[in-house]
Amino acid sequence: MSEPSLKDMEREEIEMLLPWYVTGRLDAADLAKVEAYLAAHPEMAGQLVLAQAERDETVGANEALGVPSPAATERLLASLPAGRPGWAALRAVRSGLQQIGDLLAAPTANAVRWTALAAAVLIAVQGVTIVSLLHERAGTYQTASGGPAGEGIAVLVTFADDAKATAISQLLSDLDASIVDGPKAGGVYKIRQRTEDRSAAARAALMQQLSERRDIVRAVLPSRD
Amino acid sequence: MSRAAQDLELIRRIAGGDEAALRALLAAHQARVYRFALRLVGNTAVAEEVMNEVFLEVWRNAGRFEGASAPSTWILSIAHNRAVSRLRKRREESWNEDAADALPDSADDPEVAMQKADKGAILRLCLDKLSPEHKAVIDLVYYHELSVNEVSEVLKIPENTVKTRMFYARKRLSELLKGAGVDRGWP
Repeated sequence: MSEPSLKDMEREEIEMLLPWYVTGRLDAADLAKVEAYLAAHPEMAGQLVLAQAERDETVGANEALGVPSPAATERLLASLPAGRPGWAALRAVRSGLQQIGDLLAAPTANAVRWTALAAAVLIAVQGVTIVSLLHERAGTYQTASGGPAGEGIAVLVTFADDAKATAISQLLSDLDASIVDGPKAGGVYKIRQRTEDRSAAARAALMQQLSERRDIVRAVLPSRD
Repeated sequence: MSRAAQDLELIRRIAGGDEAALRALLAAHQARVYRFALRLVGNTAVAEEVMNEVFLEVWRNAGRFEGASAPSTWILSIAHNRAVSRLRKRREESWNEDAADALPDSADDPEVAMQKADKGAILRLCLDKLSPEHKAVIDLVYYHELSVNEVSEVLKIPENTVKTRMFYARKRLSELLKGAGVDRGWP
């Protein structure tokens, strides 16, 4: 058996790096090495296509697995010691108000001005709603899990970093839901769907609907009420 | 604030016993942790247990997290450990199937899928047929988009081993595809 040539070794080294090339996770030195090799060896384009297809199907396979059941998350949370609602939670809500500003600012970097203005109005409305909510509950504030329990279905969500306020508003409208609290730490909002069906199936359906909108919703978590 | 910086702040607060911070961390990571575990252990109930074990460990050990790696890398590292422990336990208990065979055979065999003439579907089915070891590295690279260094931290193997393991996982994928009638022309 003959020894692999330097040429073969170089090619194999590039082949080993291709998966990270397609995900954009190479460091600068390796990136330069791969780009130079690809430029000099156009026949490698086919290899790149293979790696991209692998990535696409791996992502598809993972996304198709769905999300854990709300019951599993409830079990986890129930197994924790009781939370500390007092100052820690209040601080979380206060820091969350800063995140309204972040969310408000986000579209301006990427969109035309009118879009930003529309987003600003919608976010401002949400902000007013939240502030009003906090004001109403000021005398009875106990936990960070706001909203009247027992009405509709509540779930916790975080929105995608690049989700526009208009899209968020439309999604909530489509689901007959509204933000009732947040943002809490980590940009978590509580939303409540107006429905009389508070069954586990209805809750799971709502969570599924939200989790399918990955362009808007980054994560969905059951709420305790 | 970047995702990693947000996570770091959440972990700092979790170390102080802040349950709201754990909920926020869960919201950000639970789906990916669950999917990573499910791809390895192949059972939704076990994957949920693994996921809960991961976040319980985060809850308990947040104070020891030094931030040497990204929080998401740390969390995936715990998930990998827990999932591998489950697989090992399963083997020790002589569950009569190899872990790879115990994976959810949710659809057809590759040969059947080929008849459907959907190349993407065949590729996905063959991805499902990889060993847990190969599947883990493929998922960490392509789905979780970790760098070589980060995969090395999660799997606790040298960086060169990460590259060769990924290389051989892809070669194995080509073999499986060939067995299903799809010749990729590589290697």
